[in-house]
Amino acid sequence: MITVSGLRYRYPETARPALDGIDLSIEAGELVGVVGANGAGKSTLCYALTGYIPHFFGGTMEGEVQVGGHDVRRTPVSDLAADVGLVFHNPFNQISGARYTVLEEVAFGLENLGVEPGAMRERSMHALRATGLDGLAERSPFTLSGGEQQRLAIAAVMAMQPRVLVLDEPTSQLDPAGTRAAFEVLRGLARSRETTIVLTEHKLGWLAAFVDRLLVLHAGRLVADGLPRRVLAEAVDQPWGVGATQFTRAVQAARQRRLVAEGTILPVTLDQALEVLR
Amino acid sequence: MNSEVSRTPTGLHALHPLTKLTLMLLALVAAAAMPTTLAVLAVFLGLLLPLAAWGRCLGAFLRTCLRVMTPFFISLVLIQGFFTPGPTALLRLGPFRYTLEGLLVALLFSSRLLVGLGAATLLMMVTRPDALMRALVARGLPNQIAYIVVTALQIVPTFQARAHSILDAQRSRGLETEGRLIVRLRAFAPLVGPLILSSLMEIEERAIALEARAFNRAGRRTSLISLRDTRGQALLRRVLLLAGLALVAARLMLWRAA
Repeated sequence: MITVSGLRYRYPETARPALDGIDLSIEAGELVGVVGANGAGKSTLCYALTGYIPHFFGGTMEGEVQVGGHDVRRTPVSDLAADVGLVFHNPFNQISGARYTVLEEVAFGLENLGVEPGAMRERSMHALRATGLDGLAERSPFTLSGGEQQRLAIAAVMAMQPRVLVLDEPTSQLDPAGTRAAFEVLRGLARSRETTIVLTEHKLGWLAAFVDRLLVLHAGRLVADGLPRRVLAEAVDQPWGVGATQFTRAVQAARQRRLVAEGTILPVTLDQALEVLR
Repeated sequence: MNSEVSRTPTGLHALHPLTKLTLMLLALVAAAAMPTTLAVLAVFLGLLLPLAAWGRCLGAFLRTCLRVMTPFFISLVLIQGFFTPGPTALLRLGPFRYTLEGLLVALLFSSRLLVGLGAATLLMMVTRPDALMRALVARGLPNQIAYIVVTALQIVPTFQARAHSILDAQRSRGLETEGRLIVRLRAFAPLVGPLILSSLMEIEERAIALEARAFNRAGRRTSLISLRDTRGQALLRRVLLLAGLALVAARLMLWRAA
């Protein structure tokens, strides 16, 4: 579904590439997390997968990005939008400002795609129910809290039913319950609709519990790619600035004090930690 | 205000946005075409007031007209009265003469302004801007222009809220924002700078968000809101347009004859 080969990208008027030789392949229906320190290239990768790079940001791009059968370099972003959705971390700026209610806001993208009104209402309400916003359908989008606006941004893109969904820190303003709900919605989408999902996050615990695969970006390079537990355990000893969950840290400390066996694989979730300590 | 009004639909609210727009345009044309103050006021009393009553917003409509018109009316009466030459002096203040002719011109201009502002106000009170824009887009108005108009109307309250937040942030750092005029003026720069810069930074993200929602996609668009139109209303709009044209023609003929 997504193939990236030899992707190297530099923003205009910068010397260092933001992405430096990325090779990547993601299958349909995979839920893939991307982690990395600030400035590692996570958002840039999101923009490259959705065509904003190079169409919107300009700059110098080498290599190839194929998403859902589209060569992003040759496909205008507005045409890609039917197949590839993007949600980014600032929810306020994702409100179109052209619609007066939450329901109409969700339907805005569908109107642009020319979806018939009956199907449009059904898809919009389904997206609102999935994100827990159906009770706020008649409210003005501007009166919602930050967390509600973030869920609205997800609902608005979800309703467009893209085959590929790219989310850049989509839960930054959500509380733990909202984060869990958002991750469950995303996993449901990946499982039931075979939507391919790529999301960047700093919340390692949630990523470890929900994603199929984890990528680590460091200084624009893809330095790790694999199962979340293996990648996060490896990241502990690397200078990637990814961090570690409290469970990983706890068992790492226990291993250093020889409280657990030397070769113990570090856990990233509570269940894994309990299993190790047992 | 608009969405609140639209939740209690009445005959006027239920009209197609283009029918309401045509009615208001006819009021404007009539006000410009009528040669006397009384005739212009008759447009206000005979067309706009009944429409406002039909839309169940007569009180709010009159209050808004009064609030907006008062400063214009006072300025016009003073300026036209003192600066329009004429033989009939109503008042003398040193070298200045306040003329009857000036007062009459002021009354005519004020009445036309009242109808113009009144028509625009009433249209806004009984029509959601996005519904009007959808109707105009369906008639060929570019989608981008419609978007700019609707967002400009929606964005004002959020812009105000942000200005308040910036002002609060500056106050918490010890900036004085109240008191004498000079103090208020000094507080203006630390407010305007961040307000404009943050808005400019927002533009890029908003453009990305719009693209993600296929805003610039070519091809057919649909609408969640269905705008009900009838043959009767379509006919009414044509009649109103013809009436407007007739008024313009009559005015031109009067002007030539004079």
